[in-house]
Amino acid sequence: MTETAPQGGAPPFLEFRVSKSYDAFTLDCEGVFPSGITAVFGPSGSGKTTLLDSIAGMISPDCGEIRAGGRLVYSSRARVDLPPEKRRFGYVFQHGALFPQMSVRANISYGYRLTPESERLAAPDDLADLLGLSHLMDRGVANLSGGERQRVALARALAISPRLLLLDEPLASLDAAYRASILLHLNRVSERLGVSMVFVSHSLSEVLALAPFTYALDGGRMIAHGPTPEILAHPGVSRIADYGTLENILEAEVVDSGGCESASALRVGDALLVGPPTLSQPGDLASISIGAGDIILSLGVPPMTSARNAVPAVVRELRDAGGRVLVHVDLGVPLVVEVTPAAAAELALRPDQDIYLVIKSNSILVFA
Amino acid sequence: MLQTLAITLQVAVAATLVNLPLALALGWLVVKKRIRGGFLLDILASLPLALPPVVIGYMLLLLLGRRGPIGRLAADVLGVDILFTWAAAALAAAVISFPLMARAFMVAMHGVDERIERSARSLGAGPLRVFFTMTLPLAYRGLLAGVLLGFVRALSEFGATIVVAGSIPGRTQTLPLAIYESVQLGRDEEALALVAVSIALAVATIAAHNWLLTLPRRGET
Repeated sequence: MTETAPQGGAPPFLEFRVSKSYDAFTLDCEGVFPSGITAVFGPSGSGKTTLLDSIAGMISPDCGEIRAGGRLVYSSRARVDLPPEKRRFGYVFQHGALFPQMSVRANISYGYRLTPESERLAAPDDLADLLGLSHLMDRGVANLSGGERQRVALARALAISPRLLLLDEPLASLDAAYRASILLHLNRVSERLGVSMVFVSHSLSEVLALAPFTYALDGGRMIAHGPTPEILAHPGVSRIADYGTLENILEAEVVDSGGCESASALRVGDALLVGPPTLSQPGDLASISIGAGDIILSLGVPPMTSARNAVPAVVRELRDAGGRVLVHVDLGVPLVVEVTPAAAAELALRPDQDIYLVIKSNSILVFA
Repeated sequence: MLQTLAITLQVAVAATLVNLPLALALGWLVVKKRIRGGFLLDILASLPLALPPVVIGYMLLLLLGRRGPIGRLAADVLGVDILFTWAAAALAAAVISFPLMARAFMVAMHGVDERIERSARSLGAGPLRVFFTMTLPLAYRGLLAGVLLGFVRALSEFGATIVVAGSIPGRTQTLPLAIYESVQLGRDEEALALVAVSIALAVATIAAHNWLLTLPRRGET
C-alpha cells in the first residue's frame, strides 16, 4: 500500500486494500485517505457501498487489509476481522435507519451509553444543540422530516465519539433544501469535532461541497483519487459524471431578507450577492446553491446587464473535463464555474487571474 | 370440568414456556446469525407441522419410554416415569406447536430492517444486545402472533398427547381428550359443556392477544 499516498499534506488516516467478489460483481481496490473528509464517488453499482461496508465491518472482504487511525481492523493474512461494534466507526445510512421504538434522545444516547466514559467527547445534548435537534429530543422519530432524520442519525453516530464517520449516500433521499443544510452541518461537525469522514455519493455537487479529497470508483475498481478539483475533471470521472447538474452548495449569511418586490442580500465568502427574497431573518445562516453553468465569467464589470451580480474573484485552476472546462475560482470560498473550451481560450483564463463572476439573482437558490 | 380446564392450561402454558426460548434461539441462529446448516435446523423444527401428530406421539413414546434414551435417563437420574404424566402431555404439545411458533418468529425477525440492526452494531452493541434491544422490540407484533399460534395449537393438541399421556381424568386429560371421551361414551351434554369451555378459552386467548397488540408503543402512533 505504498503507491497511493494522498496529496494535499494531510497525514494518511485510512489505508485499505479490499477484494470482494459477488456473483456478477467484484470489488478490487486500494487506497489511502487523508484525515478530514474524503468522498467516494461513483455511479450506482460501482462498489461504493461494498467498500464502505467493508471498512465498517458490516461485510467481510474475501481478502485484503484495512487500517484506520493506525489500527488494524481487518487483515486476511493476519486473520483479523473486528466486528463493527469493536471498530466503533460511526455509520450513517441513506434513510437514517433510526430506531423506531425509541425517542430522538434515546436514539442519540444508544451508542453514547455503550461508549467508555473516558472516550466520550460530546454529550447527546451538545450534539443535539450542534445539529439543531434540541427541540425534538423527547419526540418519537416517526414524524420527523427527512432532514431531521438524517441529523438524528448523524448525532447518534457522533455520540460514540468515533474517529471515523462513514456516510452512505446520506443525502440521496433528501429534498434540495435539506440536502444543502445537512452538507453544511457535516462541514461544521468535521471542523468542530475533528472527526474524519468517508462520504459515499454519486453526486458531484455533494462531493464538491464537502470533500477536499475524492476517491472515484467505477465497476469495482478505483479510477482516480486525489484532490477533488483534480478528480472532478479526471477523464475517467468525466465519462461517468453529469456536469450539467453540477452546483455550488455554499453557506451564506442573510444580510437582508428582501420582500415580495425586493431582492435579498447574501454574504458569501468575501462577496455580497443579490439573491431572491428569503424567509430567513437577517443574521441567519442559509444554504444556497448556484449552478456551475449558471455563472458567467467576465474580464471586467459588464457595463449594462440584467444580471444583478458582478463580483470580483480570482481564478485558481482550470481543468479540462470532456468537452468543457471547469474553472475553480476563489470568492473567499471556492466555487466552480463551467465554461466551454472556446470561451476559456478567448478569455485567456489562467490561474491567479482576476475575474468577475456575473450571476443572475434568480440563479441563486436560497434554502432556509 | 374445572380440573380439566386447569390441566389444559397447565399443559399449554408449560409447552409455550418451553418453546419460547427455543424458538427465539432458533430464529436468531437461522435468520440473524445465518449459521451454516440453518436450513436443516429449520426443516427439523418444522417437521412436526408436516407429520401426523400420531407419528410424533409414537416417536415420543419410543424416546420417553423406559427403554428409550430420554425415558431411561429420567428413570435412572430422577427416578421418575415421564410417560402418562402431565409433563408428557406438555412435551407432546410443545413438539407439535413448536413449528408454528418458530416459523412465525422467523418471519417476524426477517421483517426487521437489517440496517437498523447494523446501525446498532456500529454504535457499539454486540449481536446479543442488538437482538434484545432491536430485533425483539421491533418484531414484537410478529412474535406475539407466534406465541398465540403456538399456545392455541398446544391447547388443542390431541393426537400426540393421547399416545404419550393417555387420557387420565384429573391427571393428563385435557379438554380435547375429555371431549373425545365424552363423545365416545355418548355423554352429549358433557361434551357440549366442554366444547363451550373450549370456545370460551379460544376467545379469551385471541382477545388477550389482540389487547397486547393495542398496548401503546412509541413510534407506532
